[in-house]
This record gives sequence, C-alpha cells and structure tokens, in this order.
Amino acid sequence: MKRLLAALLAMATVVTAVTAAEVPGVSLHSGEPEYRRIRIDVAVNPDSDVEAYEVWFAGQAFQARSEATLHSILRVGSTAGLEQPRPGESFDDCWSDGEPAHRDERGMVVIAPETRRWSCSLTGMAPGVDQWIAVVPVDGDGSALSAVAPIVARTDASDERTPPPDTRPVLYALGSIVLSAIVLLSYLRWSDARRGRHKSKLAHIYVAPALVALAALTFYPILYGIWLAFTNADQSRLGDEVFIGLANFTGVFTSPGLLRVTLFTFIWAFGNTAAHVVFGVVLALLLNRAGLTGKTAYRTILLLPWAIPAYISVLTWNGMLQPDGFVNAMLGTSIDFIANAGSARVVVILVNIWLGISFMMMMTSGALQALSKDMFEAAEIDGVSRWDQLRYLTLPNLKSTLVPVSLLGFIWSFNMFNTIYLMTRGGPYVGFGEPGATDILVTYVYSVAFESGHYGIAAAWSVLIFLMLIGFSAVYVKKTRATEATA
Amino acid sequence: MNGQGIAVRWYVPAEIQVLRVWLPVAALINAFIVGAEVLRAREHGMLLSVAGLAALLLLRALLPDGRLPWKRTAALALAAAGVLAGLWSLFAIELSFFNFWSNTWLVFPAGIALYWLSVGPAASWASGASDSAAAESGLARNKQVLPRLESFGLHTLLLHAIAVVIVPVIWIIDISFSPGNVLGGAIGDAFTLEHYESMLGGSQFWLWTRNSVIVAIGTTIVGLLLAIPAGYAFSRYDFAGRKGSMFVFMLVQMFPGAIILVPYFMVMKTLGLLNTSIGLIIAYSVTALPLCVWMLKGFFDSVPRALEEAALLDGCTQVEVFYRIVLPLSLPAVAMTALFSFLAAWNEFVLALVFNTSNESYTLPVGLASLIPTVGQQWGDFAAASVVVSIPVVIMFIAFQRALIQGLSAGAVKG
Repeated sequence: MKRLLAALLAMATVVTAVTAAEVPGVSLHSGEPEYRRIRIDVAVNPDSDVEAYEVWFAGQAFQARSEATLHSILRVGSTAGLEQPRPGESFDDCWSDGEPAHRDERGMVVIAPETRRWSCSLTGMAPGVDQWIAVVPVDGDGSALSAVAPIVARTDASDERTPPPDTRPVLYALGSIVLSAIVLLSYLRWSDARRGRHKSKLAHIYVAPALVALAALTFYPILYGIWLAFTNADQSRLGDEVFIGLANFTGVFTSPGLLRVTLFTFIWAFGNTAAHVVFGVVLALLLNRAGLTGKTAYRTILLLPWAIPAYISVLTWNGMLQPDGFVNAMLGTSIDFIANAGSARVVVILVNIWLGISFMMMMTSGALQALSKDMFEAAEIDGVSRWDQLRYLTLPNLKSTLVPVSLLGFIWSFNMFNTIYLMTRGGPYVGFGEPGATDILVTYVYSVAFESGHYGIAAAWSVLIFLMLIGFSAVYVKKTRATEATA
Repeated sequence: MNGQGIAVRWYVPAEIQVLRVWLPVAALINAFIVGAEVLRAREHGMLLSVAGLAALLLLRALLPDGRLPWKRTAALALAAAGVLAGLWSLFAIELSFFNFWSNTWLVFPAGIALYWLSVGPAASWASGASDSAAAESGLARNKQVLPRLESFGLHTLLLHAIAVVIVPVIWIIDISFSPGNVLGGAIGDAFTLEHYESMLGGSQFWLWTRNSVIVAIGTTIVGLLLAIPAGYAFSRYDFAGRKGSMFVFMLVQMFPGAIILVPYFMVMKTLGLLNTSIGLIIAYSVTALPLCVWMLKGFFDSVPRALEEAALLDGCTQVEVFYRIVLPLSLPAVAMTALFSFLAAWNEFVLALVFNTSNESYTLPVGLASLIPTVGQQWGDFAAASVVVSIPVVIMFIAFQRALIQGLSAGAVKG
C-alpha cells in the first residue's frame, strides 16, 4: 500500500520531472529515483496505431535501438479478463492511468488502447550512474513509429536503501552452529578416549578448524538458502523476510520457462561433458603415441585453454564471434551469432567445449601413463589389433578415472556460470519474466536474484537445482556401480 | 590353404588402409565446410562443398578391394573429378585463408588417392594383379610405410587441434596491439601500444590487481591454515568420526556453487562484508577447502610413517613431529596446494561479481569483464589487460601442470 501511494505521488510529480523528451505520439519523463530502479512516466496519443511500446536502455546516449538493450515490451490490446497484479508481485511494476497495469498469462504488460498515461518502475538498473532510456512505439512488424529519443535518469544514488540490517540472527545462527560443531567434536574425542585410543587425541583438534569453517560457511548458508526459499525475501526486504509457505515453489513450477531452461541445462551439461570426454580422450591417445615428435610442444599448446583464465577465454570468443570479429572475417560474413537464439545456443556450447577439453585431456593423459606397458606389449605379441587394444585394454582401464571425472565434469558444466554470462548474459530475450534463450538454471538463478532482486524465488530455484543434481548423481553412481559389478 | 594364400587374402596396401580411414575424416571436415558455406550463403560454395563431400564419400565406398578392377577405374574418375573441382574453385574465387583451407581438404585427399591408385603397388593391387609374391613383399613394405603415413596423419590432426586452440590467443594478442576498438582487420596489420599504456598507466588496473592479490594471498594463507592440520589428521590418525567427516568433505565438493550464491550474498550483506576483501577471502578459502584437504591428505599419505615413529621414540611430541618432520618433507606438496588455492582465487568470477558492486572493490576478473558491457565495449583495453594478466598464470599452469593435475585427480578420483 505504501509503495502504491509512493507511486501515485511520483505520478503527481511528473511536472517536476528531471528531463523530458518529446517525440510524436510519446512523451517520456523520468520519475523519482528509486533503489536500483528508474521510474518512467509516459504520456501517449491513444489514436495512433501502435501495437506495442518497447523500453530500451543503455549506459550511454544512443540514437538507434541496435545500440541499446531491450528492457521490456508493453503490448497494446484488449485487457478484458486479464489479471491486475498488485505492485511488487511482478518483476517490473507498471501502472496504466494510475491503476496497476494488466498482465497476460505470460506476464507481459497489456495496455488498453485508450490509455493516455502509463508508467513503469524499471528494475535492474545500475545504481548511481546515468542511464539513457527510450520508449519506442512499434507497429505489428516491430518497426519503430517514431524517432528514438532517450532521456537520462539515475537510480537512487545510494546502493543501500534499507538501514543496516540486524546482524543478530545471523550471528546467533553462526555461533550456535560453531558451538554445536565443537560439542560434537568434543564428544567424539571423549568417546575415543573412553575406548582407549590415546594415540589420536590430537586428531580432533587438527580437524576442528576446517570442520567448523565448513559448518559455519557451507552448511549454514545451505540451510539458510533452504529457509529463504520459503520466504518472501527480496532486495527491499532484507532481514525481515516472512515465511510464505510454498508460494515460491508454486511460482517456480508454474513459471513459463521452467521446462525450456531445464531442458537446455541438461542438453548443455550432457553435450559439454560428452564432447569433453570424447575429444579429451582422443587427444590424449594421440599424444600418447610412442615416438611422436614435438610431443611437448603439442601438449603445452593444447594445455592453453585450461591455463588461460576462463573468463578471458570466454570474452575473447565473445569478441571473435561479434559481427565484425575474427570468425566472420574468416568466413567473409557478418553474422551476429549471439543475437539469434539458435546460433547463440550452439555457440555457447562450442565455446564451453573449447574450454573444457584440455582438462579432460590432461586427466586422461595421466591415467594413460599409469597403465602398464607390459600389458600392451603382450597384446602386441598376441597379434591384437590396435583397435581391439583400445577397445578391450585401454578404455576399460581408463574407466576408473573417467567415471568420477565425467561425473565431476557434468556437475561443473551444470554450474558453469561464466561461459553463458560472459557470452550472452542468458540472452537473446525471450519473454518478460522468462529465462533467456541461452539461460541455464544457474545463470537464471543469478538473474532472478541479482538483476530482479527476488532472493526468495531464486532460493527456490536453487533448491530445485540441488535436488536435480542429487538425483542425477545418485542415478549415475548406481548405474556405474551396477556396470562395474557386472564387468 | 597355404601360407601364401593367406598373404594374398590379408594383404591390403598401406595406401589403401590409410584412404579407408582418412577419406571419412576428410568427408567429415567437408561436411563441416558445407555448414560454413550455408552460413556464408554463397551458392557456388555450397554446391562445390556438397559435391566435394559426395565425391569423397563415393570414393570411400568405391575404394578398390583388390579383386574388382572396375572399382579402380571408378575411384580414379571420382578422385580426378574431386581434384578438378577443387582446383577450379581455387582459381575461380578469391583466395581467403578459409577458402584455401577448405579447398585443400578436397584437393589433397582426392589428389593423393588419384596418385596412389595410378602408380605404385597400390595401383597394381587395385587392378587385381597381385600374386602371392607381391603380397609377401607388400606386407613387408607396409610395415615400413604405415608408420610414416600414420605419423603424417597424426601431425595433421594435432595441427588442426592446435590451430583451434591457438587462434583465439593470437587474435587477442593482435587486438591488444591494434589501434582503437576495432575487432576486424588482418592479423598484424597495425601496431600500437596505446592500450597497454592506457591500462598499465591508469590507476584502475592496478586497483583491481591489488584487490586480486590481497584476496588470493589471503585465501591461500587461510585455506592452508585450515587444510594442513585436517589433511594431516585424516592421513595419520584413526579417530572417531573420521569416516563421517571425510564423507562430509567429499559431499561439499559435489555441492553446486549456485545454491550457496544467494544465501552467501545475504549473509555477507547482513554482516557488512560485501565490497570487502575479507568477504571474498572467507568465501574462497572455504569453497576450496575440501579439495585442498584431499590433495594434502594424498601427499601426507606418501610420507613414510617410520620417520615419525622414530622421532616419537626419540622423545619428540606429536606437534614437534608434525612441524619438524612431516611439514618439511611435504613442503613441495604444500606449495602445490598453495598454488592451487591461489590460482583458484585469482581466476574466480561469480562470487566476485556478486559480492562486489563498486569499481574500487572489483577483482581482476570482474574488472576485466566490466570493460565489455553490453554496449560500448573497450576491446583494445580488455585485450591488453588480458594479455598482461594471462602471461604469469599460463606460465605457472604450464610449469606446474603435472603436479596440479595430480592433485586435482587425487581430489576428484579418490573423492
């Protein structure tokens, strides 16, 4: 209610707006600064044949939409039968003619054609710096109906809107966890002493610091995260979140992109792990050939993707795949690989494959060198062909290395935030409040938490990820155990 | 059947064996080229590459089997057609590096097939004219020729792998020396040090470096202080709860970082540790802890126990044994673990991105990434900074590769 009042108040201050730009059909003002949000108030001409309004923003002045980022789209159409979520229930709060705006089933804002004024509180704005924002009316084909004339606005300069939060709950929780870890260790030590194992009397003291640190800084955050998933925590309610039951989980399970993002995450993780293992093993086998000249040189260069910091490699590939980058120069084209959903998906997977092969190659190389030479000499004398040696001797012997490493590789790929964030930021844009085309679960959690500010919902997604990974690992371990038992 | 009959049945010239394996490889690469031509949307390129792909596949299907002479004629015709098509395209279109490479993958396989099938032992075998004497000598010759051909193929494959790896490296180095923020341009077409001057001369880069150094060194020290005693205890003592706590360490290693991201952020925010080095040091040393403990346990396991027992008999206390004997002996291992946690902290991105919101507290990864926002990307400055940051890291990785891999596989495989 308070926020609604503030919103109405802000609408009344349109006259005192900081800057204003006039383009035919649309006039745009910035409202009162908010925390990590910029409020825009827009007056429109209801007669025009506008199909939708696009809100674009950038960190610098821009004249064309190609230089800016699309923030959101407001559709013009019939609002009959649509919901009017209260402010705070959706990612961006929007109002049309002073009332909370309607939203369709996908969460997109719909404005009635006769609306004269609407406003939005745009989330995810960099705090305390100038942002250029433009509202562009578009027709059915998406072509602009007026010039792009951005206005400049800033968020609330301070990054902390809430007063310093109460640290006591966290400190109490940490303290009690540390204490219970110490109590547990003391009990174990006492039970050792009772059973007469005096040699190990220092062991518990040696282990204590690591275990206490782990309990306080890993187990506590995990439990706290699970608790957050059942609360309404967000960036404006830090420290006084309230238990709201399963609402976040129902939100997650009914969210429009859930299936798509999960599917892409699994394609991503499986594709990457499979390619890493296959290429890694092939390269390791090639490098393991006896009498290969220049082995050290090859090996050193093939190591580079592992040795170069991953964020640098990913950003470099990002540059190479730009329309004026190396790949296009090589092909003689100017394709924007990252702008199209399909090619962006392929490209992020390829870049991540590039990143991971070296490590798998090194792991396999190490295991190959540990294999006994006698075995292969014996096979050679018995006339076993190269291919059969590989199939019946090398690969089965590599299994004890490859199985755990590929499970670990799967989990790493599943959680590989850097590649996607630095290549596409999860884009291209798919729909409001939905994961982008290349979002995997981890990057989507990041954007829900730190771009939209919904910590509770993000925590619910995290719990879902955790359950998926546990389920997958359990099945994997069981399957590999079963094959090992029969082998 | 006598031995000579077997020789005839077994004998396949080395050249034909090589073609059997390599024609599909060449076809695969031509299929990739078809994909690239579709991207370029050049009609004659597409046509030619599809024709090349078809020719290579047909050639593989029609490879002589030593009995049917007509197959040799067909294969010769196909190979000649492939060579002609490739050569025509080489002269007809502009000679970019990509075109040259893609045509080579048509002309060379087809050409070598043409050559081998027209002269030499493979040719006479293919026309069905080999008797047992020729087969015997051919088998002996195979033994000499095959390794040479194989090593040629091996180097071809490895060179391709290396090209894929090295191109981004060369490109980013080139960008760092190119004026302005242009991404295009030939490699080595211009030279300027302006990006190095602006990065190394400004305060921003050194601020990020300072933050990274503080965080990485802090992480190493805190991480080792926690991990050394724990690793030693796991290696040496059998105490109540040993199995349980080792399981806990293994479990934590499997945890996805994502699920701690939000709660970590909330805890750090509540405690006021955002935008500080301490927050990152705490987070990094704990996340690297399980792996460090496993690595160290593995190394301590390899230090013989007899030395310690002797020292204990001589009247050392357990603590003295640890500091005077175990630690000095496993110093190289401890150094390796230190290097590992240093590098992990030095390269970490997500937590640093989440914990740090102001430019003054950025570490190098977040700082460098901030040079490439959605619009207004400073590629030149980024490239220069990347080169400067990468060189020491790459040298360390290459110098200590074996030890790092050993430690990592100890953690991954045993854990």
